[in-house]
Amino acid sequence: MTTVALDCMGGDHGPSEAVAAAASLSLERPDLHLLLVGDVEQIGPALDATAYDPSRLSVRHTPHWVPPDVPPGRALEEHPDVSIAVACDVVAEGRAGAVVTAGSTGAAILSAARRLGRIPGVRRAALAAVTPTELRHGPKEDPFALLLDVGATLHASAHDLVTFAIMGSAYAAAVSGNPRPQVALLSNGTEAHKGPPEVVRANELLSGLTEIDFAGNVEGLDIPRGTVDVVVTSGFLGNVVLKMLEGIGEVIADLASDAYARRFLWRLGLTMLSSGIKQIEAVMDWESYGGAPILGFCQPVIKAHGRSRSRAIANACKVAAKAARSEMLRDVERALAKVPVEEGELGA
Amino acid sequence: MSSATDSSAVPWAHVYRWDLDKTYLDTKFEKLSGMVKAAFEKADEKRNIPGAAALLRELSRGTDDRAPARVCIVSGSPTQMRRVLEEKLALDGITWHEFHLKPQWRNLRRGRFRALRDQVGYKLPLLLRSRTKIDKSLQETLFGDDAEADAFIYSLYGDIVAGRVDDQEMVRVMKAASAYPDAIDACLRSLRTLEFERAEAVDRVFIHLDRRTPPAFFRPFGSRVVPVFNYFQAALVLFADQHLDARGVVTVTQAFLQAEGHPPEELANLFQDIARRGHLPGTAMQELGMAVQEIEDTPQEARQVVWSCVQRFVDLGDGAGYRPPSPPEGDYLALLDHLKSK
Repeated sequence: MTTVALDCMGGDHGPSEAVAAAASLSLERPDLHLLLVGDVEQIGPALDATAYDPSRLSVRHTPHWVPPDVPPGRALEEHPDVSIAVACDVVAEGRAGAVVTAGSTGAAILSAARRLGRIPGVRRAALAAVTPTELRHGPKEDPFALLLDVGATLHASAHDLVTFAIMGSAYAAAVSGNPRPQVALLSNGTEAHKGPPEVVRANELLSGLTEIDFAGNVEGLDIPRGTVDVVVTSGFLGNVVLKMLEGIGEVIADLASDAYARRFLWRLGLTMLSSGIKQIEAVMDWESYGGAPILGFCQPVIKAHGRSRSRAIANACKVAAKAARSEMLRDVERALAKVPVEEGELGA
Repeated sequence: MSSATDSSAVPWAHVYRWDLDKTYLDTKFEKLSGMVKAAFEKADEKRNIPGAAALLRELSRGTDDRAPARVCIVSGSPTQMRRVLEEKLALDGITWHEFHLKPQWRNLRRGRFRALRDQVGYKLPLLLRSRTKIDKSLQETLFGDDAEADAFIYSLYGDIVAGRVDDQEMVRVMKAASAYPDAIDACLRSLRTLEFERAEAVDRVFIHLDRRTPPAFFRPFGSRVVPVFNYFQAALVLFADQHLDARGVVTVTQAFLQAEGHPPEELANLFQDIARRGHLPGTAMQELGMAVQEIEDTPQEARQVVWSCVQRFVDLGDGAGYRPPSPPEGDYLALLDHLKSK
């Protein structure tokens, strides 16, 4: 049985959605144990109001959590026992195999860095996001690719980008069942010499690495197309790209609903296309993807969207359990051991 | 085996009243196939709710410093099943003192179709009549399930015996529950016998959550009603209530570890659940831990359960407060509406 520590206090909807997710998992997944971390006075009533299997759930009480309007660093200083930190603690103690939170990304990264520690050789953590793609990936024909880093850190050196590539490859292999995912660097051209110096150098380093299937550079248009399984970039650029993709999706949806309301002919056309639109909606449905992994720590940390409802959080827990059961972290460690540490990287 | 003695002179330590289907027996009445199966299966083919037989045996046995308990079975199964059900209880080593089954064939013959499903008009008169035959000082613990109206009937019974519900209110509630006039008359007759003997008699009502009804549904019935997911949880509360000793808890725990294959960690989670819901006083775990340590032949696995429970207890911090048993605060007509809303 795999235990997942679920920070119940993060997220826009409070503990109710996290508790509902844990309750439904307790009934349908006998291989999972959910350790609910947070204020038992809020978790308890939410749990008691729903159907659940108590043999697969337990609660770790802590009265503090990171409020949305307080910087994570300050919140952790004021209360070292905030829920996300305690969730990381129970993983560090070996009582759980992975952490899931819908709370602040910054607090999750800070807590994980302090309580779980980084994988040897990893300087910076990376937040990975799943983006819908036109092409299918892996044996399960998943309609999405992994993009990282999307905002854990602003800048990334060549060594960081190589680390991200290795971690992204290992995660995709563990979660998608794709034994050798194709990994590429995001640049302004497919040629190896294109891009800023750190991207060019990362390309050189990755080309010499046999542990992953490096496909060279890709351009922005390759992301929605899905020409590779894992796209690697710095946190700043990754975040801009991710938000732009989300924005385009929302604009298209708004335009379609506007058209639907305006003219009968357009309404008729959209109705005829409804099955196709539903397929697109299914691909764009972020709740089914199960959260974004924060890679680089000694145990898996999955960040669910702040807006997550119970279904999204339950999927995040399933992904976390899969990552906890996999050899992902060991694979990353092994691959990183073969990457040369360059001047200026050590101790940076 | 069975004994038909109704003598109030027998020094019973306590009274345990048990429903059978979904409380003691794992019966699937939701589907027609389940009903047919239940009607025709043999005694040795009937399955128990995990831990039920072990718990009832432990509760009813006497010890050096405690008299045996009186066991009363009140089941909605038809009287035609008496032989096979008695045989099943005998196979489980259960000694009972009253065994009531529902006269469904008689109800059918007399055209009392409402009575076929009615639980209030069937169980309440039986419970009250049974109460008239025992010593007024005897305390009772009742076991039912969430499939029908056990929490309601047992709570109403407890409050009638305690004098919190008077005759008029009882009649109003029974009429609202569609009970037949003869059932109401039977209750009134028992009440006349009990008139000068009203006492706080019902300690606890355990409701086995066979249908996984959310525990919050039973909040309006007061903390005297304890919804339990299985009988390991009930054993812990009964230990805290001093109706079960540490050896009894270990025996029930062993039943879950061995026969039911529950890992110790799962039992610890079940412990934490019942403690979190406020049904265990904070000292209970400490007392149980100490008492189990003193039992020399406690199996290692059972000790491990206790230690895991201690960890789960620590995990709760000061976040779970104990709620001592209390009756419902609302009136029974409102509780009946609440029950119908399920």
